[in-house]
This record gives sequence, C-alpha cells and structure tokens, in this order.
Amino acid sequence: MEERNSIVKTPLNNVLAQRRSKSYRRSMQSCVEATNLEYTSGHLTALRTPRSRRTPKSRDITKQVDPDQVALLVTKEWQLSYVTPLYHFRHTQLKYYSKQLSAFIVSEKQQGLAIEVGQELGFKVNFSVVLGLAEMDEDAETVFIQILSKQAFAAKDDAQKVVWSGWLTCVNGDLEYLRSLPSEFVSLPLLCTRGPESLTVLIKSWFEKTFDCCFGPLGINSTNLQWLAALWTGCHPTINIQYLKLVWTLPTLPPMDVKYTIHPQDAWELWDSVRQDDITDVSIEEVTRFIKVLQSHFFRHFRIDLSAGSLMQVSTALGSSHHSGKIKIASPTYITTILQLLTECALLKMPI
Amino acid sequence: MAKASNLTRTELDSSFESNLSVSSRTSNRSLRVAEKERRKNQTGDPFVLALKYFSEVEAGTQCFGNDVLERNLVLVERVGLSRGLPPEAISVMLDYAMSLRMGGVTCVRVLKFLIPATVVPQEAVVQAVAWLCVGKIAISTQVIFLRWVLTVFDMIDSKDHLRAIYGFIFSFVTEENLSPYICHLLYLLTRRESVRPFRVRKLLDLQTKMGRQPFLLHLLSLYKVFCPELVTLALPSRMRSGFKNHNSTWKAALSAVQKRNNGQVSSDISLTLGLKDKTNSRKRKFHHLELPSLSSSVQSNSSSSRSRKVFPLEQLHSFPQLLDNLHCIELPSQMGSLLGSSLALCYLDYVQDDSAFLRLNFWLGHALHEEFLFCSGDGGSGSSSEALHFLNRLLSTQHFLQEGFSSTEGFLYKFLNVWDGSLLRPQILGLLSDIPVVPSSCISQLLFEPLMQLFFTSTLFFKCSVIDCLNNMLLKWLTWHSVYALEDGLDISLNSHTPMNMTLSGFMDSVMELVRFVGRLATVGLQLEGCHSLLLSFILDFYETVCDMFLKYGLPLVVMPPVGVFYPALFATDPVSVDRLGYIMYRYKKNLTSAKCQQQETKQAFHISRQTYKEFNHYLLFMVSCLWNSKMFLPGMAIEVDQELLALSKVPEPRTSFDLIHHPAFLGYALDFHHKCWPERKDMDLNSIKAGKQWDWYLEFLFSQGFHGLQQFIQSSINRRSVAGINGQRGSQPTSR
Repeated sequence: MEERNSIVKTPLNNVLAQRRSKSYRRSMQSCVEATNLEYTSGHLTALRTPRSRRTPKSRDITKQVDPDQVALLVTKEWQLSYVTPLYHFRHTQLKYYSKQLSAFIVSEKQQGLAIEVGQELGFKVNFSVVLGLAEMDEDAETVFIQILSKQAFAAKDDAQKVVWSGWLTCVNGDLEYLRSLPSEFVSLPLLCTRGPESLTVLIKSWFEKTFDCCFGPLGINSTNLQWLAALWTGCHPTINIQYLKLVWTLPTLPPMDVKYTIHPQDAWELWDSVRQDDITDVSIEEVTRFIKVLQSHFFRHFRIDLSAGSLMQVSTALGSSHHSGKIKIASPTYITTILQLLTECALLKMPI
Repeated sequence: MAKASNLTRTELDSSFESNLSVSSRTSNRSLRVAEKERRKNQTGDPFVLALKYFSEVEAGTQCFGNDVLERNLVLVERVGLSRGLPPEAISVMLDYAMSLRMGGVTCVRVLKFLIPATVVPQEAVVQAVAWLCVGKIAISTQVIFLRWVLTVFDMIDSKDHLRAIYGFIFSFVTEENLSPYICHLLYLLTRRESVRPFRVRKLLDLQTKMGRQPFLLHLLSLYKVFCPELVTLALPSRMRSGFKNHNSTWKAALSAVQKRNNGQVSSDISLTLGLKDKTNSRKRKFHHLELPSLSSSVQSNSSSSRSRKVFPLEQLHSFPQLLDNLHCIELPSQMGSLLGSSLALCYLDYVQDDSAFLRLNFWLGHALHEEFLFCSGDGGSGSSSEALHFLNRLLSTQHFLQEGFSSTEGFLYKFLNVWDGSLLRPQILGLLSDIPVVPSSCISQLLFEPLMQLFFTSTLFFKCSVIDCLNNMLLKWLTWHSVYALEDGLDISLNSHTPMNMTLSGFMDSVMELVRFVGRLATVGLQLEGCHSLLLSFILDFYETVCDMFLKYGLPLVVMPPVGVFYPALFATDPVSVDRLGYIMYRYKKNLTSAKCQQQETKQAFHISRQTYKEFNHYLLFMVSCLWNSKMFLPGMAIEVDQELLALSKVPEPRTSFDLIHHPAFLGYALDFHHKCWPERKDMDLNSIKAGKQWDWYLEFLFSQGFHGLQQFIQSSINRRSVAGINGQRGSQPTSR
C-alpha cells in the first residue's frame, strides 16, 4: 500500500467533515489548498501535487493484467480528460451499458429516429474491465470501451473496424478523497480517448446523462511534464530510453519552439548527479534542479533562457506527453507510475 | 324577454337532469331535485323528450325525410351549440351516434354539436370506443370522433377506465389515417405501466413503414421518458413543439359555451405538450453553463424499481401534482437539470438526499470551475451574458433553498484569489454572502485575505458593496443560528445536524472574527475614503446588525465598534449618521442590559467580558458629554487633548463645539430652530437655545425632524431627573454601570 509522504495536510478535515446534506461539504482541504495556487498565463494550476514520489519501479504489469488488454493501452496516443465521480456505475452492468450506449450513438446520429435498445445496429459497443491495473482496494477497476463499426455491406466474417476506444481509470488515487465518497459513487477520474472527436462528444454526453458526471479537458502542466521527464530518465538503467526530447515554447513574437534532444546516457548521468542519497523517493527539488541544469546548459550554448518559456512536450522511447493533454505510453513496464501521476492530475481538477 | 328565456332554460336543464338521474351515477336526491321532477312531469320538456327519443329510437329507423328526427336533432343541436350539453345528454347522443342507428350522416352531424357544458362522462367515451371496435364506422367519421375526444379530453371526468382499455386504443395505431390521432390520445393516456416492449416494437415497425412521423416520435419520446431502457431517441430541435391541435371544428362553439358558463370549467383547449424547447442559438464549443434537460434516469428503471410506481420529474407540471406524487417521484438522470425548475427544487429540499446534493454539487462545481477558473472553453470567461444568466439563476436557486451550495463556496474561495473585483460583481458578492459559517481557524485565509486585497485597492463603490455583502453574510449566519437554536434547543453543541456542525463557541468565534474583520476594513476604509458618508452608511448598517445579536438572534455575544468607526460616525457632518449611531448605542445598551440581567438570573450561562462593558461605557460617556453636556476633551475621558493644544487651534469654546447645537451635523437645525423661536431677533445667539424651556423645545424639534435614533438614545441614556423641574435644564448625568 503506497502512501504519500509529504503532502501538506491541514488539520481542518475533521473540523467540518460533514454538514447537513444540502451543503454537503466534503472537506475544507481543497479550499484551503486552493490558496496555494499559482497562476500561469491566466490558467490556474493547482499545486497540490506531491513534493516527492517513489522512484519508478520496473514491474511486469502483464503478470497481473491480461497482456492482450495491456496491448490495447500501450503504444497509442491518448487524449486525456477528467471525469467527476460516476453515480451508480456498476462494473457488473457492462453488458447493459454496451446496449444502451450503442443505441444512444445510433439515435444521436440519426436525429429523430427512435431506436429500440438492444437491437442490432451499425455500431457495436464493448465495455470490458481491465482487471489488475488498480493498485489499491480503493481504486476502482479500469473500464475499457471499444466501439466497432459494422460496414453495411461487409461480408459476415469481416473483421469489424475499431472506430473509437477509450478507458476510464484510477491508479493510486488519493485515499482520503476516494474514501470520502459515498458508496453510490465510483471514482474513475481519468479518461483516455482515441478516435473521432464527434464520437468522443457523444460518448461523454451519454456518460453525463447516465451517470450524472461531468467531463473536462485535462492538460499536463509544466511541472508534471518535468516530473515525467525526470521519472523516465530515471528508468534508463533498466530500459534504454534512447533519447530525451523536450520541447519548449518561448513567448517571443512570433512564438519560438525549441526542441531539445539529449543523449540518454548524458541525461541519465545528469539525473544521477542531482539525485540525492534517498533511493526510494524522488523529490520535486531534484526534478527542478535537473531541469534547471539542462536549461543552463542550453543557455551556455545558445544564449536562450528556456526558463522564460514553458515546457510543452516531453518524449522518450518510454512514451511521450504533451501539454495539451496527450499521452503515449510505449512500455507497459512503468505504466503504473505514469497512470498514478495522471490520476493525481485528474483528481486535482475535481470541483469538490 | 331575455330573463324569461333564461328561466325556461334553467328549468329545462334541471328537469332534464332529474329525468336521467335514474341512470346517472350520482343521484343525489335532494328536495330540489324532487321538486324539479314534479315540474318536469307537468311540462313535458321538449329537450328531455328529444333525448328520450334518441335513447329509445330503434336501429334502422329511416332517417331520410324523418321529421321527428329532424325536429329533435335541431332542438338538441341548438342547445348543444348555445349552452352546451349536460353530461347525460352527451352519453345519450354519443351512444346514439356511434351505434350508427340511423346511419353515418347523422353520426357526423351529432358529433359536431357535442359540446359539453360541464364534463364528459368517461363511460360514454369508453362506450364509443367500443363502438369503434365494431368496425362499421367510416374512417373519416372515426377521425372526427377521435378529434372530438382529443378536443374534450381535459373535460372527461376521469380517465382510469380509458387507461384500462389502452390496449384496445393502441390497436388502432396501425390504421394509417387514424394513427396521428391515436398517437396523440395514447400520449395523453400513457402511464409507465402501459409502456411495454411489444408496443415499443410495434411503434418502431410503424416508424420503419411511415418514416419519421412527428406523432410517432412524440409518443416514442414519452415512452423513453418512462422506460429509457427500452427505447432511445434524439428529438431534433425543430420537432419539439408537440402535437397539432385538432379542435378546429369545435373550438369556436366550445369557447363560446365556456364563456357563457362563466368559464367555470377551465378546459385547456390547446392540448400542446410542455416539451421544453431548447434554444441552441449559441455556437459554443463547450456548454458548461447549459443546464441539462430534465430526463429520467436509465439505470434506476432496471428490474427492481419497475414494479414500483414512479413519477418522473419530467412529467411534473404543477404543485398539486407534486403533492400527489411526493412518495413516488424519481430524481432525474442529471441533477443539474433541477436548477431550472422551482418545483423540482421544492422536491429536492424535501427529500434531503445526500447523493442527490452531491451530484448537484459536482455538476455545479464543474460548471463554475470550467467557466471561471480553468477557462478551458472559448476563453471568454464570464464576459458573456450567459455567465451572468447562469449566476443569476444560481443566486435565485440558493435564495429559494435559503442556503448556499458547498460547491459554490469552494469555488468562491478559489475565485476570490483571481477575481478583479469587477467581473460580475453583484453576482459574485451575492453568492459570497450566501456562504455558510466558515470556521474561525481558516476564515482569515479563505475569506479575509483575498477580500482585504480587493477592498483596499478598489473604488469606494466596491468598498460599499463588500461591506454590504459581509453584512448580509452575517445576517444569514445569525438567522441560521437562531433558527437552529430554536429547533434544537439552545444547546446546539450537542446536536450533530446543525447546519454548521460546529459548537456554539465555534460559531461565536467565527462571528467574532467576521465582526472584527469588518471593523478593521471599516476603520481603514473610512480613512482611505475620507469618512465618506456613503461608506459610513453601509458600515452603520453592519453595526445595526451587530448591536442586536443578543436580543434579535439569541447569540450571547456583544462586540463594540472600533474607535475608527465610532468617532467618524459621531463627528460625521451628516445628521443621519449621528442619528444612526444614536440608535446603535441605544440597541447596544438594551442588549447589554438584558444580557446582564440574564447572566445574573441564570448564573454563568454565558459571559460577556468586562472589557465590552467598559468599552460601551467609554463610548456612552463620551457621546453624552459631547452631545449633551458640552464637556469634551476633559481629563479622564476617552479622548484627552491638552488644554494648550486646544488653545492653539483658536477655536472659541472647543468644548461645546460638538454639542447638539454646535455639532456640524445639527448646526443647520439649530439655526432653523433659532429663527423659528425668535423670528425678529437679528443677532444670532445659539447658546440661548440651551437655556430653560428652549432646550426641551429644541430636542422636540429635532425629534420631529425624524431623528428617532437620537431620541431613543437620549431617552434611554440620559436620566433627566428634573424634566418637570423648575429649571428643566440639563441636570442630567449619563447612566453608568
């Protein structure tokens, strides 16, 4: 059971744990910590992220999770969103949801035509559980959704084409938050989608109608990109990361993109040098120092101060991630670490 | 003449009623009825005879050239079109027509004048549907009949038997020409239990045959409301207006009849549906602020709850309906939709369902965060009228529920840090004043620090708004306290379901913090704005609330205003402020006195510190000696000024310069009074007002100008022993405790 080490906790949670139902106040924590917000270019980036993390452990995820399912998740680029807790979502009802969702998609596509639920349609929706990805008992099991389209004139045994896929997950979510939710709610705060935007909109709207939840876009801010850069670099001894590529955007006119690629061995040595003795944990200070050193190195050569810009993209052979909320995980080995970080980002966006 | 005909008509009506009362369901045989029956026998009413003819006429009687028939038809037709037919006549005529006893032509003619005077008996309609099933009637006649049923639907006395033959009516849906009307009728009759898979399938089959017919879609959309797990459907926006009216044939006659009958029967002639038409004019990519539409939940319908009778909120249109179905109302699939309906909010307030509130809070918090904090939409945060509209709706919802949502609260704490103080100011401050009691340990960080920054850097008007907002906040806190103190007894600390879930002392700490905070804001604000009277007025508003906390709201807490508020109010140049200060001091005195009494009685029920009494006495002493005794700046008083320093100011008689005559706020009144007292005196000597009776008169004069606060202050705080005495001068001393 992993526990966060140094989250700044205010002792307020007990003061106002619960009020009468109407004002249902979850805890004052989010409000209090909201004052520790930092603002970058008008956007609000809550810094409730932990000051330190475990060093990524290489772990053969395929021992716990069906390799076929893992294969569905990795080596693809996903667009991220956050989701508020799902009301009355049941992992036992997935078949029923499949029918509902496919009928919904068809009826939305054919405005003004009533559709009988459960009838054979142009779309086939598959809901499935990815067992084993959850780390703690409090984490809800990951749900994978695939939408296949049937070609109207295809032969019977033709393979159906996957037109959309997505998954809802929660890995090592904030214990306190998850425990505070009533049992009718299931928190799967992170949604990864892949497929046409129009379908994504439809599917989100079905979820909103069915589970009374809300979706919002989830970006990955500079700090989290830095974390990813450091965590991936730290994996180099076990898996060759091949390169560390960072992309900065500088606020010049017109904006300037700087692509900065570092040799994996150099990156690893640099990372190793800023690392302190603590083997199990990585602190935010180490991460910042790592990036600072990279920036000063760049400055020495090109006289461009990268710290004036913002980090937009990080990629290695292990995966890539973009500021706008795109992520690709190339190797299943460190998938848990990445998903934990993303789950945190998603939980930070929760309105209560 | 008119009167006479009127009379015959009444007789006619009543006699008819009694004639058929044998067959009628409600045979209330009162004396009156018996009397009418007697009269009927004497007269042999032609209308009654005509009805008798129609109820008894043999099938197959020749209708062409039948004079008796014609005469009777004309008679009933005239009555029908002029006054409307009574229920029993409707039964007779409908049965006569639908049985085709004299062919289809008469049937159509009868249907056209079947205007009900009051109600349509449901049995008559059921009977007619039975005739419909016989299948002899021409299709066009069937259409007319159905249109008639739709037109008078709201006047059918009850519908349960009609619902019982839902299946029979449904069987006509395949008949192409009848289908639109049947669908409409079914729409009006459908209950959850009538939605069955085989019916859904039948309708879907029809849809494949006939295409997207609006009537089918409307019926199907109702089926979706009741059983979303069976059928799904997205109605295009242009198709949301509802069914067509089919009442053209009867409309004029029906409304004329109803008008004549004093519109006592309020039949909704237009039977259009209440389908909410959403205007999607805005082309925004993200719709955080759009209320979801009320629709029933897909999930809860599955299995277990199917057997239970439920009433979807979507179908709820009136308060009586809410009361009737309170036990079986089903919450919608998206709680956010409740925000748009006050009926739904009533229900929400009644059920007190934790999950429901949490769902609503998730939705609300998400909308607010996305729109104003994450700005992930089109960037136009809040500038739109849409944001304004949304916040106004939220405000009115919170006022309706008399409580703020916790998600609003959480949002505000974050938003205050980024707010520029002008964006949607009235709404934001309105929401802020709704927040529930904040524990004293974090009130400063959450509320005061961001507000203080905004306060000191903003305009006078903003400062006034903030003070006003905090005053409203305090009022709401105190009101909650008094309500719950009443509900749970005074010992709210033991009870866990108080709104604040905090102890009395915790609550008092928070209130104390708030009052002190406003004291600080007010002090600095008054300095910054040069004691502006507008700001001062808002501050005094606040202290009017504060001074009465004990008596009005039962909170054993008295907090005095800081010197930075007291003296500017006392030395204000406008008399209104001084007057209000007088009122506030009067209320403080009342509160403190009764607090002391209670303390002595109950022994240690609560404790108001000596310091508070001391402060009050200081203020009181100063105020009295300043306004009344003309003894300012004497040693031992709150403000001491060195005599030499006073001399340097070269103000003549500095001690009297703030008494009721020379106070800048009252000088004008003193001059006026002086002029009224001695109109012919050329030299002005204001000090002469102080002498003798004039002083009393002057006070009377001031009080008559509306300075009731001052009046209450003087009457309560100045013990004028010798009012009736020979020299009723100011022999008074301030009461001190």
